[in-house]
Amino acid sequence: MIYLDSAATTLEKPRSVPAAAAWAMTRMASPGRGGHPASVLAADTMYRCRELAAELFGVDDPEQVILTSNATHGLNIAIHSLVRPGAAVLISGYEHNAVTRPLYARPDVKVKIAAGPLFDGDGVYEVFRRELTAEVDVVICNHVSNVFGFVQPVERIAALCKERGVPLIVDASQSAGVLPVDMKQWGAAFVAMPGHKGLYGPQGTGLLLCGAETRPLLCGGTGSQSRRQEMPDFLPDRLEAGTQNVCGAVGLLAGMRFVKEKGIGRIHAYEIRLAGRLMDRLSAIPGVTVYRGADQSGVCSVTVDRMDCEEVGAALGRRGVAVRAGLHCSPLAHRTAGTEESGTVRFSVSAFNTAWQMDRAAEIVRQIVTQGKGAR
Amino acid sequence: MVHYLIVCRSLTHAQRTAHLLERAGIAGSVIRAPKVISKEGCGYCVRVAERKLTDALMVLRREGMAPRQVFLQSAEGVYSEVPA
Repeated sequence: MIYLDSAATTLEKPRSVPAAAAWAMTRMASPGRGGHPASVLAADTMYRCRELAAELFGVDDPEQVILTSNATHGLNIAIHSLVRPGAAVLISGYEHNAVTRPLYARPDVKVKIAAGPLFDGDGVYEVFRRELTAEVDVVICNHVSNVFGFVQPVERIAALCKERGVPLIVDASQSAGVLPVDMKQWGAAFVAMPGHKGLYGPQGTGLLLCGAETRPLLCGGTGSQSRRQEMPDFLPDRLEAGTQNVCGAVGLLAGMRFVKEKGIGRIHAYEIRLAGRLMDRLSAIPGVTVYRGADQSGVCSVTVDRMDCEEVGAALGRRGVAVRAGLHCSPLAHRTAGTEESGTVRFSVSAFNTAWQMDRAAEIVRQIVTQGKGAR
Repeated sequence: MVHYLIVCRSLTHAQRTAHLLERAGIAGSVIRAPKVISKEGCGYCVRVAERKLTDALMVLRREGMAPRQVFLQSAEGVYSEVPA
């Protein structure tokens, strides 16, 4: 199989990741729930995970690193912490349902959309500058669109938020492990990311970097201040009720070590090269529209004339190419880019893909398009 | 043996405290706080040797992590609070 769905989950992992997670399964108990060696070992490893995340993502204190189930979990905590009923929230035009649904679920929240043009960082920044008015309480922006790979000008938006004193939540789902993510430099209130994409950890892992006051989404045992019925007022305990995903965290630690060793800059350069090669070949196929621009990561979307995106995705799957078609849980991004009706077929690479795979995938697309409906 | 117990608000805080001390060449082990000194239940502390307390407190103050409580653990296992 040629796996080109890494924007959803990186499937091929460094060997150390499954090995570490499996090793932990029968050797590590619950951190913070006992003083015995199996608990201490788990606690020590969890701490190393926080420490490395703090190092990779510009966080001063490992206690500000929260281990979550995924980016959605982290974004929900961030939104729950900052967005009060009646608040006005400014979001980019490329947000995922992980942002829009929690906002929709909160009562009386006014959502303003800064729908800047696709692959135009200056244009997006201008829209944010215009829409970030005095009524806005919180800004939410993803670093990279999960549909188009569009790298949004988060640094400039962060500076704008800082200047106007408005807290910023960054969804780094598609950028963590691929692009520099620097909590301190951005001065963000929260940065959420999954562990199972660019950090090569197992599914069910994620990180939330906290730079603002928090409100727990989940209450329960934390292994600290057990007599009190209020949740602890300190991190990470305040946001980590219940038994943690130790095996996942151990796998995530192995994944982050891989990223650190390989180098985020090198991973990014490699993925850009692969995606560029793929897009060059796809662009040469008559009837295929490639959504391509200057500020783009290793994610690209295409549409095919007179073919439903789901048909193309299914045809690719039958021929051994794994992609994702449809709206990618981001109807807003499709609306902003004008692809809401058609949807797109998304190709996304990882550090484990090869140039040959790009050529082969493009060749298979060509066959499908040439054969048209006969391919089904 | 006499030890000092630096009381920490959480396990992670205790781990961070121990790591900072370790970087400064001071050995400290994270242990669950004895129940008699953990008034709120389920606490953690970092145990350091008697002669290392002054240095340890200096390092922690420098890092903005001055402890709220420190206990002396006598050879007989009796705990008494000392000024942090």
